[in-house]
Amino acid sequence: MHGLHTWILQRFSAIYLGVFLVYFVTQLLLGQQWTAPAWHAWITHPVMRIASVGFILALLAHAWVGMRDIVLDYITHLGLRLVIFTLIGLVLGGCGLWALHVLMVAAG
Amino acid sequence: MPSQRTAPVYLNLFRIRFPAGAITSIAHRLSGVFLFLSLPFLIHLLDLSLQGPAGFEQAIEWLQCGWIRAGSVVIAWSLMHHLLAGIRFLLIDIEAGVTLPTARTSAWFVNITAALLTLAWVGWIL
Repeated sequence: MHGLHTWILQRFSAIYLGVFLVYFVTQLLLGQQWTAPAWHAWITHPVMRIASVGFILALLAHAWVGMRDIVLDYITHLGLRLVIFTLIGLVLGGCGLWALHVLMVAAG
Repeated sequence: MPSQRTAPVYLNLFRIRFPAGAITSIAHRLSGVFLFLSLPFLIHLLDLSLQGPAGFEQAIEWLQCGWIRAGSVVIAWSLMHHLLAGIRFLLIDIEAGVTLPTARTSAWFVNITAALLTLAWVGWIL
C-alpha cells in the first residue's frame, strides 16, 4: 500500500476505534452492575455485534500500519524487517480470527 | 540494500532535549506497542467471560489476581495516552493547534491527563 493510503487508513480507523472505545469503556465501568447474562446479552446484541466486527477490522488495520511504521523507522536490516513483519502479521491475523470466533461462538 | 548513513548519529540520551511534544510522540508509539502486546490477554479474557456464568466468574477472579491488576495499570495508561495523543495528532492534522505554544500546551495536557487518569484507575482497583 502507498504511503497516502495507509496515512488515511490510520486516521479513519483511529476515529472509529476512539468512538467505539469511549462508548465501550464508559459502559463497562459506569453502565451497570455486570452479571453473566447481562454481559452476554450486551456483547451479543445484533448492533453491538456489527459494531464489534467493525472494531476488530479497524483495529487490525490500525495496528498493522502502526507497527509497520515503527519497524520501518527502527529496523534497517531487510531480512530482519521481513521476519518481524511476518510475526506481526501472524499475531494480528491470529488475534483477529480468534476474536471473531469468540464473538461467533457467543452469539450461538 | 547498503545502508549508508550520512546524517550525524548522536545518541547520548542525556544530551538530547526532550520537549513535551517529543514525550507525547514517543509515548504514543510505546503505548501502541503495549496495546498490541495486550491483545491476546484481552481476547482470552473476553472468551472466558462469555462462557456462561462459570466462565464469567472465572474471568472476574482472573481480574482480581495481582499480576493482572498490575498489567491493567499498564493497559490503562496505554489506552488513555494513546487515545488522547491520537486525538491531538488528528487535530494537528486538520491544522488545529499547530502553533508551537498551543502544540506545547496540548502536549503537556495529554501527558499529564493520561498520567492522572492512570492514577484514577489505580485508585479504582485498589
